[in-house]
Amino acid sequence: MRWSVIAWRCASFVVAAGVIALWQLAADRRLISPVFLPGPDRAWASLLRGFTSGDLLTKLTGTLTHMAYGWLLASVAGIALGAMIGSSKAMRIYVAPTLELLRPLPVSAIIPVAIAAFGLNQSMALFVIAFGSLWPMLLGTIHGFAAVEPRLYEVARVLHMSRLAVIFKIALPSAAPDILAGMRLSLTVALILAVVCEMLAGLDGLGQWVLLSARAFRSADLFAGVMLLGIIGYITALAMGAAESRLLRWQAARR
Amino acid sequence: MAEPALALVQSSPAPAHAQIAFDKVALVLGGKAIIDTISLEVAAGEILCVVGASGCGKTTALRLAAGLYQPTGGAVRFEGEVMRAPRREIAVVFQDYGKALLPWRTAAGNVSLALETIGMPSAQRAARIAELLAKVGLAGHAAKYPTEMSGGMQQRLQIARCLAQDPKVLLMDEPFGALDAMTRQGLQDEMLALVASTGATVVFVTHDLEEAIYLGDRVVGLLPHPGRVGLELTIDLPRPRDQLATREHPEFLRLRRALFDFIKASE
Repeated sequence: MRWSVIAWRCASFVVAAGVIALWQLAADRRLISPVFLPGPDRAWASLLRGFTSGDLLTKLTGTLTHMAYGWLLASVAGIALGAMIGSSKAMRIYVAPTLELLRPLPVSAIIPVAIAAFGLNQSMALFVIAFGSLWPMLLGTIHGFAAVEPRLYEVARVLHMSRLAVIFKIALPSAAPDILAGMRLSLTVALILAVVCEMLAGLDGLGQWVLLSARAFRSADLFAGVMLLGIIGYITALAMGAAESRLLRWQAARR
Repeated sequence: MAEPALALVQSSPAPAHAQIAFDKVALVLGGKAIIDTISLEVAAGEILCVVGASGCGKTTALRLAAGLYQPTGGAVRFEGEVMRAPRREIAVVFQDYGKALLPWRTAAGNVSLALETIGMPSAQRAARIAELLAKVGLAGHAAKYPTEMSGGMQQRLQIARCLAQDPKVLLMDEPFGALDAMTRQGLQDEMLALVASTGATVVFVTHDLEEAIYLGDRVVGLLPHPGRVGLELTIDLPRPRDQLATREHPEFLRLRRALFDFIKASE
């Protein structure tokens, strides 16, 4: 059991190494002009240079900050709104059509509206990121709250639990798997929108770094930025997964 | 319907000492009469079993006694006071233990829920949880999640949580209905021992007629559509009851026949 896990982990690293090797090969053979495709060696060197002598670190923290603030804002709003809507059938009926109308709206269509309302600044980015990453969490929370086992509410009534206790001891833990799944999806959305907003509004961040590198034909810098974005996505997803399996230990017992 | 042939028992008004009293209770849901004028009292410390064909409203009657439903006619009284909502002195053991337990809390956590709600300081909780789990035979399983336990263990856990409320009344809705015969008999005896030690009043709904006679001081048979009392039997079998001796007792067999005839006639 444990050994097979290790074996699969090794295999996945071999695949990743293979992809990088192919990339190196393609770059060395000049299958694509080095102006557009630097090898992993050059991209790596550029990444290190960016951190040691350039302002890549500022860009990185910029993107992380945009992403984190937008995502946290969306989490708080999404869980609070979702709890309100999900725990009341009347609310679900009243609000559902509006949600269905807003949800499929491409967030990119919201950006011009946000720019008109806020200008090209951090507030605009915060609004767009939060708006975009709100939906998975909102819908997850609504579903989670609506799907709480009715028997548990009866248990709560028999025990005379307060409204607050019912929310924090029954409804929230019961909805936690749905909420966390929503938060995981939102994390990706938040990263995408952070990059888009930085590109559009010229905010300090990897989006801006990537765009400027591309315009200046600094392909190695461009790839360094892209690699860094990939790493952010990977690490945040890993962290989220670890948080999930910690919070949902009881679900592992079920399987 | 051979109903007229049955002795229809109409109880007298609730005496003062009744712990739970159904006073001409009726329940109409969506224009349909579910329960029609049930009058019944349960004395403190009594074990009352309720049986009846499906659709006779036995579970509904239990929910009325719990205060989870409000009657549309008459009143349900607890110690003389009209029930308007569930009360902590009355614990409910639900049939579907899998749904009534919190899957994200361990056995200890599930018992703790009741203790937290009655406001027991956290310093005292651990000892009380251990005591309650030991009482229902789950001493070594405090850290297990309900999904890691067998059906019988889960139902024991639910009973432990109910006992944590320190209830005067235990309302049990077919608590052993989903368990296999061996587990069920074991739990019947454990329940009788627990009840004897706490002195709690028990209202026990079951579709198992022998179980009703085995456990009860009194058995009430309900007639269906709408639910009403059709039969009341006093069980004069010696206690403590014994799975073999009690079930072979001539009186047991006589009561069993009477109850089977009643159910057959009511269907």
